[in-house]
Amino acid sequence: MTVVPFLIIAAVSGTASLLARGNRGWSTGFAVFGLALMVGASASIGSSAAIRIGGATLAASEWLRLYALLGSVVGLLLVAVDVSAMHEPDVPGIVVLGLGAAVLALALSDPRIAVVAATAGGLAGVLVAAPLGAAARAASVGVRELRALAIAGGLAIVATAWIARPLGGLVAQPAVFGLAYLAFAIAVAIRFGAIPFHIWAARVADAAPGVALPLLMAWGPAAFAAIALVWIDQTVAPLALPLGNERAIVASIGAVSVVLGIVAAWIQDDLEHVVGYTIAADAGFVVLALAGFDPAVWEPSRIWLLVFVVGRSAFAAWAVAIHGGFGTRRVPELTGWARRAPLLGLALVIIAAAAVGWPGLIAWQARSAIAHLALPEAVALAVTAAPIASIAIYARLLWVGIRPAGSAVGAGRGERPGWPIPWPRRPIVGVGAVERLLERAAHLVGGLLDQLWALPAAARLNRVLLASIAVLTLSGLAFAVAVGGLGVPQAARAVPAVGEPGPQAGPSTLPSASSPVGPSESPGFTFQPVDPGSSAPGGS
Amino acid sequence: MNPALAAIAAVTIAGAVLAVSARDVQATLLGLMVVLLGAPLIADPWPDPLSILVRIAAALLAVRLIAIGLRGGLATGGTRIGWPAEALLAGAAAVIGYGSHGLGAAAFGPAVAQATGFALIVLAAAPLVAGRDALRISVGALLLLVAASSIRGGLDPTPGQAEQLVGSILTIAIGGAIAVITLAARAAGGLDAIDEGGRDALPRRVPDAHRPPDRPERPVRPTGPRQTQAGPKCAPAGAPRAVESGGGPSRAKRRPVRPPEDGS
Repeated sequence: MTVVPFLIIAAVSGTASLLARGNRGWSTGFAVFGLALMVGASASIGSSAAIRIGGATLAASEWLRLYALLGSVVGLLLVAVDVSAMHEPDVPGIVVLGLGAAVLALALSDPRIAVVAATAGGLAGVLVAAPLGAAARAASVGVRELRALAIAGGLAIVATAWIARPLGGLVAQPAVFGLAYLAFAIAVAIRFGAIPFHIWAARVADAAPGVALPLLMAWGPAAFAAIALVWIDQTVAPLALPLGNERAIVASIGAVSVVLGIVAAWIQDDLEHVVGYTIAADAGFVVLALAGFDPAVWEPSRIWLLVFVVGRSAFAAWAVAIHGGFGTRRVPELTGWARRAPLLGLALVIIAAAAVGWPGLIAWQARSAIAHLALPEAVALAVTAAPIASIAIYARLLWVGIRPAGSAVGAGRGERPGWPIPWPRRPIVGVGAVERLLERAAHLVGGLLDQLWALPAAARLNRVLLASIAVLTLSGLAFAVAVGGLGVPQAARAVPAVGEPGPQAGPSTLPSASSPVGPSESPGFTFQPVDPGSSAPGGS
Repeated sequence: MNPALAAIAAVTIAGAVLAVSARDVQATLLGLMVVLLGAPLIADPWPDPLSILVRIAAALLAVRLIAIGLRGGLATGGTRIGWPAEALLAGAAAVIGYGSHGLGAAAFGPAVAQATGFALIVLAAAPLVAGRDALRISVGALLLLVAASSIRGGLDPTPGQAEQLVGSILTIAIGGAIAVITLAARAAGGLDAIDEGGRDALPRRVPDAHRPPDRPERPVRPTGPRQTQAGPKCAPAGAPRAVESGGGPSRAKRRPVRPPEDGS
């Protein structure tokens, strides 16, 4: 099956969820129903299914299928955490629409169209970054996000259009390719909020609902980055042009983002800022992958993208559950949280293990490969080992959690299960045996109905417990992806049959830009539509 | 050069000049509508009729969404250099874009599309970088995206139906985003809510604390009923805080007596 059913479900359910925003229950219901259908639709996507619509090819791949499947499951769990903990308006609909836009962008085989779709999907996030009725600074946050998205989108649109033609007659070919590459790479860095482009992302982390952060700062930008990786792999890297300076700039941004992101997350007292800066730190490896002009970067970069988005989603969900349970996001005010929410404590340990990893773990190996392909050996070692320092972030949170409970935690809800007070037992007033038997049967049925009617109240009473279970499930999913489960390495390694070209086997046999060749021997890539039945790389 | 395309490009650029120059939001809206309607038509060959209809519908819907957020008597900052200067800048950029058509290689699109893109980028730069109100920055963002699409139209062949559809989705999305932002800004008190939470919102030092030491030390000005009893120099009860903390005439009068290390 193609991605079309997935896209239709996402568009319909996301739009319905936003149209019904006046009734939060219906809005959430539409989104949950849509996400459940999207799980099924994504599972049925064929790895080589393709369809041409309006002159563009929508092509699936094994990696795209896994992205859509994980995104739908994670979205479902995020909405569950949101409903249990905070129940922010508009978030479920935006999660559905944003995920649909990301999958659309990944499925489009022409990068010129894909970047437009990815930019449009990112704009949907403005709705939750600047919600109506929020604090005065919401508009400021929203407009900063809009500005960042527009700049990133503009750079990417121009970059992809610039070298989507035969450029054989161009005298300054290396410079043109270098500028286009730099523009797209910086656009990716801006979308992720990588340091030094992190100001807007920090504001968004402060103002946007915590459960929407993974979509705004990880899932959507990850699709944007995946488009960039394919585009670089197909159009820039094979030419073996001397782009050392441009690659050095991009690699520097990535390395700085990794290191300073961890430092910034460590010193923050606000949980959502901690989440935001850990996202920036992990996104640094994605930016580093853009600087690795080698076919070997194909697999680790795609592994890391999945590890990154699922892991950061789990961490964001954990922060939302903590906020919902204890009413504060300030770390100093959360002393003793782990005593009252041990499941969340366990989830944090799993999230930390998946995020930090150890040598030999799929996630660690992917990070190491990316760093070594993009950076000099000594710097690569340091950047590879940098995530070990993020143990301090999680250890700090755990240390705060195991201390005696503070006032906020004491006044908050814990994970202790509860049940609403049942109706009092009604006395048996029958006289005869048959009469008493019938009365007892009636009481039994009535008691069962009472318990059923109590379920919504019980769910409200156990909100923290339910959120903790969802976070624990999400952290388990993150750990499974980090250790290479769910077929992540196979999906990352697979070369798509249609659309994406896959890793190039080596330096291109195409003439170098600096070689004295005539215009007719210009780089032989074009962006002509790909025949869905063809497996030969050639389209984008 | 196709005269019809040149005319559409000129009208589009004029709409952009109007959008970034006008203080009246209705005029800004009119300018945006002209830009959104005109830019997709600067193509050779023209898009098919269905694509044109979709783009027109998307442009009208986007403008309608923006208009929802701008009901009532509002005004933006407008340009500080005046519309003639903006128009001259745009014209100069258009000439550069026209002259550099293809950006170094043979192009498949019309030169006026690239010229329009360059002009829109120049017009978008000031609102994006120096805009202080939500609408003005949003207009800059919209113009930047339209400019990028115009440059793409000048370099590559006319977009197909799928690309036109995705472009329409982008147009609607940015219209919705601008509507949300302007509504949030208005709910916060005005379109200039961009300053909320920024540097200007940080607590400022009270001027009294920086008086020269030869004057008798006065406590920090209290708030509440005491203000009304402290004499004519105090602000009246209920006066807005902005007048007390800076920006008003009283602050301007106090500036000269600040010590040199304050930098004032």
